[in-house]
Amino acid sequence: MESNLITEDKQKNKLEKVFEILKTMASRPSGLIGLSIVLFHIVLALISPYIAPYDYKAISPNTMLLAPSAEHWFGTDSLGRDVFTRTILGGRTALTVTFFGSLIALLWGGLLGIFCGLVGGKIDDVVMRVVDAFLSIPWILAMLLIVSLLGTSTEVLIPALGFFYGKGIVRVARAATHDVIAKDFIVSARARGHSNMSIIWNEIIPNVRDAILVEGAMRWSWMLLGFSSLSFLGFGVSPPTPDWGLMISNARGLMSFAYWSVIAPIVGLSSLIIGINLTADAFAKALGIDRSTKAPV
Amino acid sequence: MKYILKVFSATFMSLILSFSIANASSGVFKVSHDLGFGKDTNLDAITKGRLFQVVIKTQNRLVRPDMNGVPSPSLSTDWSANSDATEWTFNLRKGIYFHDGSAFDAPDVKYSLMRAKDPDIGSPVRKSLNVVEDIEVVDQHTVKMKLSTSFADFPLLLTDYRLRMIPEGSGDTIGQTGVGTGPFMVDKFDPEGTTILKANPEYWEGAPGVAEVHVIAIPDAQARIQALLTGQIDMNRYVPFNQKKIFDSNSKFTTTVIPTGNWRGVVMRTDTAPFDNPKVRKAFRLAVDRKELVDLVMGGAATVSCDTPVMPSDQYRLQMDCPQNISKAKNLLREAGYPNGIELTVYPATLEPTWPTIAEVVQQQVAKAGIKVNIEMVPSKGYWNEVWMKKPVSMTRWNQRPADTILHEAYHSGAKWNESYFKNADFDKNLADARSELDFNKRKKAYQNAQMTLWEQSGTMIPYHVSRLVVTSSKVKNLDAVDHFSIQWHKVKVD
Repeated sequence: MESNLITEDKQKNKLEKVFEILKTMASRPSGLIGLSIVLFHIVLALISPYIAPYDYKAISPNTMLLAPSAEHWFGTDSLGRDVFTRTILGGRTALTVTFFGSLIALLWGGLLGIFCGLVGGKIDDVVMRVVDAFLSIPWILAMLLIVSLLGTSTEVLIPALGFFYGKGIVRVARAATHDVIAKDFIVSARARGHSNMSIIWNEIIPNVRDAILVEGAMRWSWMLLGFSSLSFLGFGVSPPTPDWGLMISNARGLMSFAYWSVIAPIVGLSSLIIGINLTADAFAKALGIDRSTKAPV
Repeated sequence: MKYILKVFSATFMSLILSFSIANASSGVFKVSHDLGFGKDTNLDAITKGRLFQVVIKTQNRLVRPDMNGVPSPSLSTDWSANSDATEWTFNLRKGIYFHDGSAFDAPDVKYSLMRAKDPDIGSPVRKSLNVVEDIEVVDQHTVKMKLSTSFADFPLLLTDYRLRMIPEGSGDTIGQTGVGTGPFMVDKFDPEGTTILKANPEYWEGAPGVAEVHVIAIPDAQARIQALLTGQIDMNRYVPFNQKKIFDSNSKFTTTVIPTGNWRGVVMRTDTAPFDNPKVRKAFRLAVDRKELVDLVMGGAATVSCDTPVMPSDQYRLQMDCPQNISKAKNLLREAGYPNGIELTVYPATLEPTWPTIAEVVQQQVAKAGIKVNIEMVPSKGYWNEVWMKKPVSMTRWNQRPADTILHEAYHSGAKWNESYFKNADFDKNLADARSELDFNKRKKAYQNAQMTLWEQSGTMIPYHVSRLVVTSSKVKNLDAVDHFSIQWHKVKVD
């Protein structure tokens, strides 16, 4: 009975902390704007299949490149498809792929960085040199190689993006771990005979979590840009799935006379990236982290 | 009197000087190529990786098509045949020299054409040239070609854009030197960068209008359009029709629409399941709405084709209608053992700007017949080596050729570029019969029978023959408004 009460208290405290962070974030104008934009995009991604006015696949020579009107709010593209429909659906794949990709990046990058920071020595040296080697490879080339070999399905893109964007998190997590391993409570835990796993789980993660989360939030926006770049090059999602990067790529040649077919996806993509950046920035400030040094301020 | 003579001499010299300057080659004409053959790109016209944007400017043919596609003199001034058209005699132009200084004569003709038949080289043009059994050097300026069968249209075959004359014995180096008798000479060959051609002042039709031609590698179609807009290149012959408006309203550019025999298509390998079943292939082809493709992809600027590669203006083309027929397509799939439809993947690249759009439209059209098409974009660089004739379904594009050439080259069972791996004895027989037939009507019937076989059996969906939107910088003058391979490049000028 008593332990149940303690657990409930802990959960209540955690919830309270989350609300407090959100409140702090929203107290800054930039944080409020960022949060609103991200929330808007997430809600839109969830409900867009139900509110889309047209079939996103429906092509017709009779409706090619129509300017914005009451029937087609954002006009139509070169195949006669409704741009509004494709724009509101266009963020779904990008959000899904990059959200799960970021989770994977956080997970493997964070845990490997913490482990290396804790054990040090030769293992740390070898792992960090391998990470350095991977960091020196332009990610876009590596991604093109992967999608050329394995295809462009989300099953390929999510882990591939997660891997390439996790490399930077390894370094951040390792540096944050170095900041805490010399502290007394780690020394005490070692003296008590706790295993490395126990120390990582109970002592280090609670202390480096905020820095890694902030880094992960930033990586999310970069990954979104990266994923859209892949789509722009034709190696993201496959047609006819609506996707902002692909829409921009298809319509870029028409920009001078059918601007509507390219403006909507550009606004969608850039607003989401700006929103995530503002949110990550406010998140870091709410946690008291200086993003330029990744250290508590 | 002395003074008058002086003034007269000075005026005369000035006139000569200004006339020379006016007629000297000047300016740079910049064009692009798509680097579609990657590392295999070379200057040997008869090989797969030939960089035709260069060889058509540096080398001549014996016979070339005139502005109407009719065989007309080039390095051969005239020709004649014996009574059964099995022996053709060609008289060669005299006083012609290659860029390396050697004289062009009959042994060069024999060498150039017999080399294209060499099985070790494996030229894509070999199949259509197999009809030539031997070439006899009658004298230094006359050759007699002995054919294995009667062939009334033989000069048409020699208008093929790859049958270029090169110096005897130059086979080992021609891929890098590009030596020929053409209006331009290769100064620097850099397939992945900028290849530079210099004017040949001794060109037999007169000195070229421009001093240099730069052929720049730009793999991406949109990048080529941007290059044209920014002045990096002066001509783009692959501008999609939906971008015509960009150039129509801009005085810096000139747009020309040229009907051609060039075609685009989707190729199913007939040796690979499920496309080894002719019913599946026909079902796919029947499920396509060609008129809609013409409207959506080409803005209406194309001629519908019922899977025949023979150009609309060709006298042997089979004229027929082939509207979309979804119910028949479904029936054929059912009969072939696929009552629930089939699934396939196509691999477009942006080296041909219309391929991704064709794939997207076809994807929607054939879905109605239960054919699910997945689209996977692939890199432009190396497309012809890595995807084409490798994947079960690929995208294709061909330049125009005479009926006999294209039917042999793309569909004959022994052809190197038989991209769909099509093998049909009746088809091959019809082509053989057509070649040996001296009666025009019977010959036409045989060629049309071959095209009907393609409609029933082929693995290549050819929705249309394109009209080409050619956009040039307004600085470019005297560019013939014809197909790429009929242009007389020496006349082009750049202000």
